[in-house]
Amino acid sequence: MFKTLNFTDIRNKLKQAFDARVRIVTAGLSLQELRALLRGDPPTEKPNPRYKVHVTSFLFHIRPKFYKKASTLFTHTWRLGFFTVFFFALELITGLVLMIYYTPSPADAYNSILNLMSNVPFGKLLRDLHRLGAEGMVIFTVLHMLRTFLTGSYKKERSFTWLTGVVLLLVVLVLSFSGYLLTWDQLAYWAVTIGTSMAEAAPLFGNQVNLLLRGAPDIGAGGLLRFYLLHIVLLPLVAILMISIHYYKVAREHGISMPAKFDEEDLSVDVKKEANRRIDFLPDLLAHEMFLTSVGIFVLVVMTAFFYSAPLEHIANPQQTPLDTQAPWYFWWLQGMLKMGDKTLMGIILPTIIFGLLFAVPYIDRNPHRQAYKRPAAVAVGLLATFTIVVLSYMGLPQYGIETPAATRIIQDLAPEEGLGELRSIPFEELQPGIYQVNGDMPDELCPDLLWGCHTLEAVFAEFSERVHQAEQAGKLPDVEAVLVIEEWQADLMKVTPRIIWTDSQSGVRKTYEKHIFLHRDHNRSE
Amino acid sequence: MTEEISDPKILVNRREFINLTWLASLGFIFVDVGGVIYFFSMPRFKDGEFGGTFTVGKTSDLPSVGSAPTSYPKGKFWLANTDEGVKAIYKVCTHLGCLYNWSDQESKFICPCHGSQFQNDGSYIQGPAPRDLDSFIIQAVDPDSGEIIAESPATGAPLRLPEGQDVIIKVDTGTKITGNPHN
Repeated sequence: MFKTLNFTDIRNKLKQAFDARVRIVTAGLSLQELRALLRGDPPTEKPNPRYKVHVTSFLFHIRPKFYKKASTLFTHTWRLGFFTVFFFALELITGLVLMIYYTPSPADAYNSILNLMSNVPFGKLLRDLHRLGAEGMVIFTVLHMLRTFLTGSYKKERSFTWLTGVVLLLVVLVLSFSGYLLTWDQLAYWAVTIGTSMAEAAPLFGNQVNLLLRGAPDIGAGGLLRFYLLHIVLLPLVAILMISIHYYKVAREHGISMPAKFDEEDLSVDVKKEANRRIDFLPDLLAHEMFLTSVGIFVLVVMTAFFYSAPLEHIANPQQTPLDTQAPWYFWWLQGMLKMGDKTLMGIILPTIIFGLLFAVPYIDRNPHRQAYKRPAAVAVGLLATFTIVVLSYMGLPQYGIETPAATRIIQDLAPEEGLGELRSIPFEELQPGIYQVNGDMPDELCPDLLWGCHTLEAVFAEFSERVHQAEQAGKLPDVEAVLVIEEWQADLMKVTPRIIWTDSQSGVRKTYEKHIFLHRDHNRSE
Repeated sequence: MTEEISDPKILVNRREFINLTWLASLGFIFVDVGGVIYFFSMPRFKDGEFGGTFTVGKTSDLPSVGSAPTSYPKGKFWLANTDEGVKAIYKVCTHLGCLYNWSDQESKFICPCHGSQFQNDGSYIQGPAPRDLDSFIIQAVDPDSGEIIAESPATGAPLRLPEGQDVIIKVDTGTKITGNPHN
C-alpha cells in the first residue's frame, strides 16, 4: 500500500486545498499574492486580483481601488478627511467601552464618572481619550470643510457630496453637544439648559421641540436619558449612514479631487501622466492608512498621558447657575450672537440661514474654476466667514458683554467657582498665616522665615494688587481697601479670604465682597 | 511597488522583512489594546459588596463552637464555627440555585426547593444535590499589621484560627471553593 502513496502528490493537493481556503477568506488573493504584496512585487496573476477584491469582498467594496497620485499629495488634503473618520472610529470604540460603567440617571451619572476616574483601571485614560477625540472630531470636521471649500472640491458632480458633508457637520456638533450633558456636572447641565432653551425659542413648534428633547419643562432624568439615547443610538446611526454615502461617493464614484492646476492648467504630458499615475489600495494606500492610524493613536495617548485631562466640575445644581457659564468652544459663536439680540432671531433664524447658505454653496457658486486665483470672490467670502465666526466666538466669552461687578470679577478670576484657579494652586507650605494688605507697606518678600520663600503666594498677591489698582484707576472701586487674609483653621487646613471693600459711587454706601476658601494640605492642586 | 518581481532565490527580501516586522508590532499593539479593554471591563468589588471582602469581626465576636451558624445576607454566606474551625458557606444550594435555610430543630441545612440536606459544615447528607456546599475563603488578619496570618485551604476544609490571638476575620466572596462531590 505504501508504494502507491505518492507523497509529492498529497503535498500538492494539501497545498491547493489550503490555497483555496485562503482565497475564500481573502476574496481572491492567493497565499502567493499575499506574499507578493509584502515583498513589493507586481500582481502574480491576471486579471489583477488586487482590484477584484474591491468588487467581490464586502469589507473592501467601499474602499477605492486606487487613487491618482496628485490627489494624494499631503498639502492638497492634509489627510483631514481621513483623520475625521479616524476620530469617529476612536469615539465609537472608546464610547462603547465607557458605556460599561456609565449610568444615565441624575442620581448616578456623576458618581459613575467619579468611579470611572478613580476606581477603574484605565478609566481615566479612556475617558480622556473620548473627550479629546470629541474635540478633535469637531476641529478636523471644520478644517476638512474649509479645505474642501478652498480647493473648490464641491463643484459640479461633487455638490451632493458637499451636501452630505454639511449634514455630517451638524451631526458631529449635536453628537458633541449631547455627549457634553452626560457627565451631569454644572458645566454640562447649564450649557444644555441654554441650548434647549434656544430650541424653545423656535417659532411655531418651539415648545414641542423643547419637550421632546428634555422630556419635561426643565432638564431632569427624562432629559438625560433622551440625550443619552440621542448620543449613543440615533446620531451614531445617522452618522454611519451619512459617512458611508459621503465616503462611497469620494472613494468609488468620483475619487478624491485632483489639485485644481492638474485639471485646469495646460501642463506637459509627462507631468500629467505622473499626476494621474495610480496608487493602488493594496498594498500602498492600506499601508499608509495603517501608518496614519498608528501616528494618530500615538499622539492622542501621549497627549492624554502628559498634557490633557478631561475637565469635571461640581455636580449639577439645578438651583444655582455658576458665574462664567460657557458654551463648549464650538458654540461660542452662538453664545456671542445670543448676547446681541432677540433669542429667536439670533438663536434660530440666523443659524438656520447660516447653515442654509452652507448647504447651498455649490449652487450659489456659479464659477466653474477651482483654482484659487480664478475664484477671488469665493475665497474672499470663505475667509470673511471664517473671520466672522472667530469674532463672534470671542464675543461668546464671558469677559465680553456681561457686566460683572469689578470686585466679583477680580476675586472670581483668582478663585473661580468652577475650576482650580491661581489661589487654590498655591502650595500648602507657602500659605503662611497673616494679613496681606494691598496698598499697605507690604515687603517684597512675604515669607522671610521660609527657606525657599513663597513665590507662588507673592505672584498671586501681586496679581491681586495689580487688578485692584487697575480697577481703582478706572473708577470702578472708589476708596478701595483690599486684603488677603490667611488663617490656620484646623490641623492641615488653612482658610484664605480675599476681601475687597469700596464705596459704591451711586449710593455712597461702603460695600464688601469676599470669598472664603478652605485649602487642605492633601488638596489636589492639579486640574 | 516595483514593476519587476524580486529575486525568488532570496527567501525574505528587505521589504518583506520590514513589512512583517511592522505587522508583528501592530499585532503587539492589538494585544496591548485588548489587554487595556479587558482590564478596564473586569469588575472590581469594594469591601462590603458581594464579590468583595466582608469583615465579620474578631475571634472574640464569634459564636461558640457547635452553635447555629450566623447568617450574613449581604455577603450571601453562613458563618459556621465547627469543631475543626470556621467556614463561610455560600448560601446558594449546589443543586439548582435556591437559598437553603438552617433548621434549629434538626441542626442541619435543609433546602426548601427539592429537599437537599447538609450538615453544619456544609457536607452533604442526602438529596438531589450533587456535591457538598460551596464555601468562600476566610482570611485571618492580624489587627495591628494588617497581614494575612492564615487562610482557608483550597480543599474547602474549615480554617483553624490561630490560638491565643484576637484576629480579624474576613470573608472573600470573590473566591469560591467548590464543594467536593459525594459518591
